[in-house]
Amino acid sequence: MPTTSSSSVNRLCSDLILDRLASTDCQIKLKAIREVKNQIIGNRTKKLSYIKLGAVPAVAAVLAEGDANSDCGSNLIVQSAAALGSFACGVEAGVRAVLDTGAFPHLFRLLSTSDEKVVDAAARSLRMIYQSKLAPKYEFFQEENMEFLLSLLRSENENLTGLGASIVIHSCGTSSEQNTLCHAGALEKLISLLDGSISQRDASLESLAAILKDNPEAVSKFVDLQSGRALSSVIELTKDRYSRTRLLACTCLICIKNSSSCYLHDIGIKTKLVYILLELLDDHGQVGDEASFALSSLIAEKEDLQKLAFEANAIDKFYDYLQNSPLNPKRLEGILLVLANLCSKLECCRSRFLSLQVLSLVVDALTHDNANVRTAACICLRSVSHSIKNLSAGRFMNERIVIPLVQLLSDLSTSVQVAALGAISNIVVDFTPRKSTFIQCGGLKELIQLTKSMDSTLRLNAVWALRNMVFLADNMCKQGIFTELTAPSIASLICDPEPSVQEQALALVRNFVDGCVDSIEFAFAEDGLIIDAVGRQLRKASKTEIGIQGMYVFCNIASGNEFHKEAVMRRLFPQTENGTHSLIMKFLQSNDNHLRTAAAWVIVNLSFAPGARDRLRNFGIVSQIKSMVNDSCMDVKLRARLALGQFTTVRYPAFSISFQNGVTYCFPFTLTSQSSVRAFQFCSALLTSAVAYVSSMPRDSIVVDIHASLVSLFCGS
Amino acid sequence: MPVRELESSTLSQVSGANSGQSTFQACTLLSVGQAFSGTQNVSSPQKDEAWRVNVRIQGCDLEHGYLCGTMEALNVPMADTPVVTFWEGEIVDSKNYTFFTGKWEATPEDDIRHWTKFPSFSPFMAQVEVDGGKSLDLSNYPFIFMRWKEQYFVNVGTDCGLTIAGFYYVCFSCSDGSISGFYYDPNSSPFQKLELKSTNDGRSGFSFSSYELQ
Repeated sequence: MPTTSSSSVNRLCSDLILDRLASTDCQIKLKAIREVKNQIIGNRTKKLSYIKLGAVPAVAAVLAEGDANSDCGSNLIVQSAAALGSFACGVEAGVRAVLDTGAFPHLFRLLSTSDEKVVDAAARSLRMIYQSKLAPKYEFFQEENMEFLLSLLRSENENLTGLGASIVIHSCGTSSEQNTLCHAGALEKLISLLDGSISQRDASLESLAAILKDNPEAVSKFVDLQSGRALSSVIELTKDRYSRTRLLACTCLICIKNSSSCYLHDIGIKTKLVYILLELLDDHGQVGDEASFALSSLIAEKEDLQKLAFEANAIDKFYDYLQNSPLNPKRLEGILLVLANLCSKLECCRSRFLSLQVLSLVVDALTHDNANVRTAACICLRSVSHSIKNLSAGRFMNERIVIPLVQLLSDLSTSVQVAALGAISNIVVDFTPRKSTFIQCGGLKELIQLTKSMDSTLRLNAVWALRNMVFLADNMCKQGIFTELTAPSIASLICDPEPSVQEQALALVRNFVDGCVDSIEFAFAEDGLIIDAVGRQLRKASKTEIGIQGMYVFCNIASGNEFHKEAVMRRLFPQTENGTHSLIMKFLQSNDNHLRTAAAWVIVNLSFAPGARDRLRNFGIVSQIKSMVNDSCMDVKLRARLALGQFTTVRYPAFSISFQNGVTYCFPFTLTSQSSVRAFQFCSALLTSAVAYVSSMPRDSIVVDIHASLVSLFCGS
Repeated sequence: MPVRELESSTLSQVSGANSGQSTFQACTLLSVGQAFSGTQNVSSPQKDEAWRVNVRIQGCDLEHGYLCGTMEALNVPMADTPVVTFWEGEIVDSKNYTFFTGKWEATPEDDIRHWTKFPSFSPFMAQVEVDGGKSLDLSNYPFIFMRWKEQYFVNVGTDCGLTIAGFYYVCFSCSDGSISGFYYDPNSSPFQKLELKSTNDGRSGFSFSSYELQ
């Protein structure tokens, strides 16, 4: 086979090269290194085959052994440093191989030699290595390290300043690192580089962004530098003729804006940033790929900026890009994410998105080879389906969308699975009887499978999707889901180690027991496995939201018949507990408005049962409710008043008067205030004695007479 | 709820339209999933008529003063099935929306003429005449004023002979979840009154479901 013979020839040459790299003859060695270097530059395949062959340690050995004081030795060092840098450039396996040889600290040492060529070569090589995440983190906190870094940034040598910037970009992550750099004067050094060469300027902008990102303190220091001239220079660079510089200047400004909203808030600069980034998307290279990510970080979570982008016809523009596929995966991912951000809040964006048929292109991306693209497509779908108006119109619940989404639930990448669950969680909030589409596509089984995942994010999102799916589902649909999911599984989800899973599981149960009265029975399946789990979990609720969802589970159950109410009473007031320290008392006294409201609703529902009313009074709940009738939260106040009304409403058995002749008179009105009750008791006592002596009269006429007297007493007529 | 197209527009003012109660702020009775039922009076001088109406809240975003849901009209004479429409609501919160509609062919005079039909509106009358009520703090008021605008028919075509051109002035009572409203469409009978009560699916108590979009 031709390939075999050609690869064996290559192999032969390569082996020879290894020998030559180990040669004692300086010139042979030098020639061999040059050959390797020239072959691997820009050629990933060659790099990988040389790495496999073991060329990297051989080259590193040449670097280590080279004598910088001899001409040949110096040449060897320069060439081997360049070759190592090239191995590390853009290929992670190359970076790993270089780091494994121990060449990294050696390259650093070479920066202090007097031979400028050697210094340049070492600096360039280190910059290549620092482009990779695998490069060791630079320790800014050690004084001598910071000194050395500042000396690099101060240098006249462009390679050394470039290396300094690369170190900042690579290793400055935490806010304490950012602050250390600020205090040491790194900002000033970087700003002075803005007047340097193109590469210095770009490196400086990128380093500044790394120091300013999410750090209001650093931003405030930067903005005040040189009376604001530093900021003005960056703003000026957004108009630079080089697209990369424009992009980096925008990124730097976005970091400033996102760290402290008080800067760059005028509409002019915001609009300008949106337009520049949209224009940079036209760049066919890396700048165009990165521009969409920068635009995403500019508009994420910010409605005003999303509006500006919408008004700049961003959605139409992205639609055009998507139509001109195939796009490279990075660019496609970036565009899908920026569309997701655009549609995350504004209905006008979602409408435009849907009217342009962007949806169909996004659905195509669900089956893309690249996992990041698939994730981005799911996030985009999640964002556009965050719209009740469109969900209600059933725009997403169809096989074209649901089938690929369900398939992604078993994707090999967890981030794809999580993103698909996010989109599904929205889509299953369906107000029409179309939930069956999802079940028919096999979605339910996949979701249930994921509720058993070891990964808590997957469990959380799967339960979340089920909770949304059960919302307002008809009883048949609920029955189907319940049978598949099973009561023991629901009970174990309620007791999941992860609090957010517990919360969603309780919300799921809350939805199960809502709707027609029969639905309440779900909580009592398998000897009350679920309701018992709810009671247990509420006792150790680790966060307010769990309390709220649990209270609504009890609220919904307590809206059923006497048996249901009694079951809730038993869980709220176990015989072993004192009512005044009960769970419900704790929730009624919570600082959280929503939790107090939920707890008050439970009491409202329980108070429909006369038996429960007496016990609630004994447990001190009525006194507690009384103290809530002027609660600062209106919802709580109104529910407390509603509950209190239930307690003080004395229904007709309490209003019956038994006469000595055996007649029982039931007063046909209900009275709601304590004073009326007392007045009634007084009057009825009077009337009882009054009628005593006319007991021989026919019953009917007594009743009529008494009725008339009572009505006149109470109604004044 | 849709109404007949091209109704005679003779004034047939509903008298004593004062049973309306409504509410505002985070109120559990106005949360997603809650259902209401009642009637809409569609009487004309020729005929006394009321259609049974069911409403379900589907979405609520207090931050944006937004509410939405469906409205189902049950005994619409010209329709074979109940007619379901999707509506979107604007909550009068002085932040996102004021008492002045500013669109849908409603002048400030039309607005005031309708709002004053709700007794609970009276404390705001003077201020609303000045600025539409944009300086009022309605957050703790036990009634919520809203406008509901039907957006599309869910289960029938647009050729059903019905129109959803108008909108409702709505007043919701936070205490008991009752809703009253008046339909406004310059081309339909004026002051068609909507009266709804919170429903409980035959339960002895209140039940609340929920979903959360991602």
